[in-house]
Amino acid sequence: MKNKLFEKYFIFTPYFWLVLFFFIPLAIIFKISISVSEWGMPPYQELFIFENQFKFNATFENYIYIFRDFYYIGSFINSLILALISTFFCLLIGYPLAFYIATSNVRLRNILLVLVVIPFWSSFLLRVYAWKIILQNNGILNLILLNLGITSEPLQLLYNQYAVIMGIVYTYLPLMILPLYGYLNKFDLNLIDASKDLGLNRVKTFIKVILPLSIPGIIAGSLLVFIPVVGEFIIPEMLGGSDRLYYGKILWEEFFVNRNWPGASALAFTGIIILVLPIVFFQIIYSRWSEKNEI
Amino acid sequence: MNKNFLVIENISKSFGKNKVLENINLDISKSEFFGLLGSSGSGKTTLLRILGGFEKPDSGRIFLEGVDITNLEPFDRPLNYMFQSYALFPHLNVFDNLAFGIREKFNKNEINSEVKDISELLSIDNLLNRRIKQLSGGEQQRVALGRCLIKKPKLLLLDEPLAALDKKLRSKTQLELTSLQKQLKVTFVFVTHDQEEAMSLSDRMAIMREGKILECSSPEEVYENPKSFYTANFIGIANTIEVYKKSNHYFSNELNINLELEHEAKKQKTNILLRPEKIKIKSAKDVKINLVNSFEGVVLEKSYLGSFTRYEVKSGNKIISVLDQNYNSNSNYNFPIGERVLCSWEKESLKILED
Repeated sequence: MKNKLFEKYFIFTPYFWLVLFFFIPLAIIFKISISVSEWGMPPYQELFIFENQFKFNATFENYIYIFRDFYYIGSFINSLILALISTFFCLLIGYPLAFYIATSNVRLRNILLVLVVIPFWSSFLLRVYAWKIILQNNGILNLILLNLGITSEPLQLLYNQYAVIMGIVYTYLPLMILPLYGYLNKFDLNLIDASKDLGLNRVKTFIKVILPLSIPGIIAGSLLVFIPVVGEFIIPEMLGGSDRLYYGKILWEEFFVNRNWPGASALAFTGIIILVLPIVFFQIIYSRWSEKNEI
Repeated sequence: MNKNFLVIENISKSFGKNKVLENINLDISKSEFFGLLGSSGSGKTTLLRILGGFEKPDSGRIFLEGVDITNLEPFDRPLNYMFQSYALFPHLNVFDNLAFGIREKFNKNEINSEVKDISELLSIDNLLNRRIKQLSGGEQQRVALGRCLIKKPKLLLLDEPLAALDKKLRSKTQLELTSLQKQLKVTFVFVTHDQEEAMSLSDRMAIMREGKILECSSPEEVYENPKSFYTANFIGIANTIEVYKKSNHYFSNELNINLELEHEAKKQKTNILLRPEKIKIKSAKDVKINLVNSFEGVVLEKSYLGSFTRYEVKSGNKIISVLDQNYNSNSNYNFPIGERVLCSWEKESLKILED
């Protein structure tokens, strides 16, 4: 009896996992986000107060505050744009690489895959810091440029949004390559030959055959890059300047500098909703489409 | 027949140190159904892929109707290639797969009518809206064929066209393919490892081994008069006997008999071929032994095949296969295992194997 019961509920393990590590934290964030802010520890008032009578001490002031001030919305838009640009460049660099890896022979393929994964073995923070050393005014890159006579004085390569994009593309590239490789690896190379045989040149073969069949990989890779980059905090902080504010940084400051937990929670929760809803919606449409098209 | 339709001249190809094709020369006629037969690793598929333009030969030329196509890209060649796996586009339905190669050349109405024609010819007109995954193996094969034929190629290359089909469907498709080819008069060049398939489909066939063509002629010729030891054994069942030239006849040590041949052998010691169905088998009790072109032996094994019975007859250390037609339903004509039998043949049935 006991075993059967176990079997019956065993399938709920993933849901249990989701509830424990996703929905409960989310609920806590939401709870804090509608609490009233105050000085203290923790820095917000209880949501439910029992003093003589029950009082539901909730406020949406934090949300209204976020949408009223362009400071927050603007940073969010900045982050979305940054994520879009970074994802685009990751795709631009990652797709040909993934395709090359997937179509090369087994020995070379394994070597290349290891090379893609190797950066994960060292600290993320150190790798970003290394870029700082490369890009700084008396850094390696400027030294080379100066010695080659390409520039007469050091270029300001660091502390701007280009450095941020470069850092993000560098860091997140493996996350684009690996899922793309996963899909392209299954790609039947005969389809390319068949398309050429039927009269389509390389460009047309790419558009009509290779690209449509790699859409699942492109979507998987793009989401894997896009979502974390929206909340990315460390790379803009280390490589970026003060010209542009990003969502992740604002969130951090709100929590740790201003100690405004309800405001920060409201910001986090808004971010999740704005980010998650379109993606879920997109996934539903896409899965229907791919079911219909048998990809 | 238009000779010199497809001319393959001194084609060689290596992959690294591995020589896959060595000096291949072939001359294929217009409207011919030509088979490339060989075991795996014989280079037959590489040759077909070179014809399709997917591989570049290291040396040699290919001419199609007198035009040098050696360096043309696949999309510039007036021929089509049917893949063993069919390589149908999984993201397109049957209609779009068929229309794939003619989209640029024709307008919408023309495409519709072309697809209609080809799908009716191949009786797949009821499948046009299906996805590729919803098709059976036989249906996929037709779509793959239709996708090529809709382009009206001068030459169709087929890589193991029937290998992915089950046995029953294969023989049916074999007949359809032959009649389709005769009807459309398109030149077909196909690759197979299956000797029966090669024999039944081909007008002419080339037997390939280790990157070389051993011989090239009609299936009848290859079966009846093979030039080499390898071909004799590769096609059908073969008894090969080693014989030595004596003054006016030949002698086999293995069977301890004298033989007479139709033609003079060039070498002192040579292999001869004796096909099992050419041998007459009789009970040794009934006849006197004549030691020219016959031998006495013991039935070692026997398998009843319906229209034929196959015997393995042992004489000395040599085992000879015999196929005896069951022309009489009387079982007295069957010889049990252990029976002493006399095997004999006409001297015309003995073929000298030069190589």
